[in-house]
Amino acid sequence: MTDHPPNELDVVSDGALPSDVDESGAVASSLREATHPSVLGLMGEFPSAVEAQTVSARDQAVVWIQASKSLEMLRWLKDDAGQLYDMLSDVTGVDYGDGRTIEVIYQLFSTKHKRPLRVRCKLPLDKLEIDSVVVLWKSADWLEREVYDLFGVTFVGHPDLRRILMPDDYEEGHPLRKDFPLRGRFSRAEQTRRALLQDVERFYQASDLQVGGRPQEVATPESTTLHGEDPS
Amino acid sequence: MGIGDVLPGGGVSKQDGGMFGAGSPTFLTTKIDWVINWGRRNSLWPMPFGTACCAIEMMASAASNYDLARFGMERMSFSPRQADVLICAGRVPYKLAPVLRRIWDQMPQPKWCVSMGACASSGGVFDVYSMVQGIDTIVPVDVYVPGCPPRPEGLIYGLMMIQEKIRQESLSRHFEHRAEDPNSVARPHANAEEVSGLTGPFGSSTHQDQLSTGLVVDTGDGLADDLGQGDD
Repeated sequence: MTDHPPNELDVVSDGALPSDVDESGAVASSLREATHPSVLGLMGEFPSAVEAQTVSARDQAVVWIQASKSLEMLRWLKDDAGQLYDMLSDVTGVDYGDGRTIEVIYQLFSTKHKRPLRVRCKLPLDKLEIDSVVVLWKSADWLEREVYDLFGVTFVGHPDLRRILMPDDYEEGHPLRKDFPLRGRFSRAEQTRRALLQDVERFYQASDLQVGGRPQEVATPESTTLHGEDPS
Repeated sequence: MGIGDVLPGGGVSKQDGGMFGAGSPTFLTTKIDWVINWGRRNSLWPMPFGTACCAIEMMASAASNYDLARFGMERMSFSPRQADVLICAGRVPYKLAPVLRRIWDQMPQPKWCVSMGACASSGGVFDVYSMVQGIDTIVPVDVYVPGCPPRPEGLIYGLMMIQEKIRQESLSRHFEHRAEDPNSVARPHANAEEVSGLTGPFGSSTHQDQLSTGLVVDTGDGLADDLGQGDD
């Protein structure tokens, strides 16, 4: 670590983060104060798997559940007649740093009962695995890829788990982890070199590159001529 | 006074109509450099590579209020094959770097490049893992337009500087001006030392684990070991 004069950023990283206090801080005594019907339902259906609950931002119900039972519980939330959370708005992750757990967050909405629910799962750093929910909600596909890309969480059972934002052959790690250096792990020269070595067409099918229903000839670095002369 | 009076008068024909009516010359002399450069600088077609807010200003420059067509930039050429000036307006992430380089390689000579705005010129505020620190590490740049974003006047001034640059070119030194190494296709424009030097002691105000000197920091996840140069 580089020596540097202390600043306000250090103070934040030493203690609880504001976002931490907002939701995790109010956890301890609140299970019995739960009023949200879905939280109460989860507590009745899976009494040992609900870890905590709180209400955040005035009316956003948040419930922490065991990661090992997440698929089962989320399926119940989706299918139970009293819940019917048919829409998965978002899947995100949070890394609180300092060796604390990484959390995977599911933002659900029931269009039937018109209520939202936030479900959070804590994952220990040495076992960043959770069941994929693509089987329940199609929208989870790219969202889980994003969490995998940026946090390194493995979604077991995902049909196509690969990077989505960073280049497919990115080897520097998972950028939104707190231990990831802001400028990446490689030097700028190495990053530039690797970037230009990318084969950008490698991950597309010919049908993806169609324009106006006509298959396009895929240009490769070899077929790209220096002075723009078309070889044909 | 007609234009015939100021043109070289060697071929003035009193009987027949000349180039510009009766009494005007039937030919004119000039330097072929001047004619070619006149044609080139007044028919520059830009290739818009707009990736961010700078592109909004670029579009404003082309719209009726500022009207780039006054300067011969008659239309934006959305194909690099018909373009003369690459206007890179906005930030370029590493994932987009090979695309930018490919477009530059596909443009026919003679060609010029404008780096519009702080992000394209230097990375701007995005001194982070994902962002190219100035497109001159990827392609050769003729004119940098500062600003965040530059006003349309700024872009027009930059393009007029390109026109001024063309005015001073000479066919006899064409290969000197337009020299391009065939091996440079899809390669970085700057060498490794230049790229690494870009993010020296200045840079982001946030706490850095790495000063972008090629130093690799061991963050405990085994990546540094793979690279074989863990330090610090």
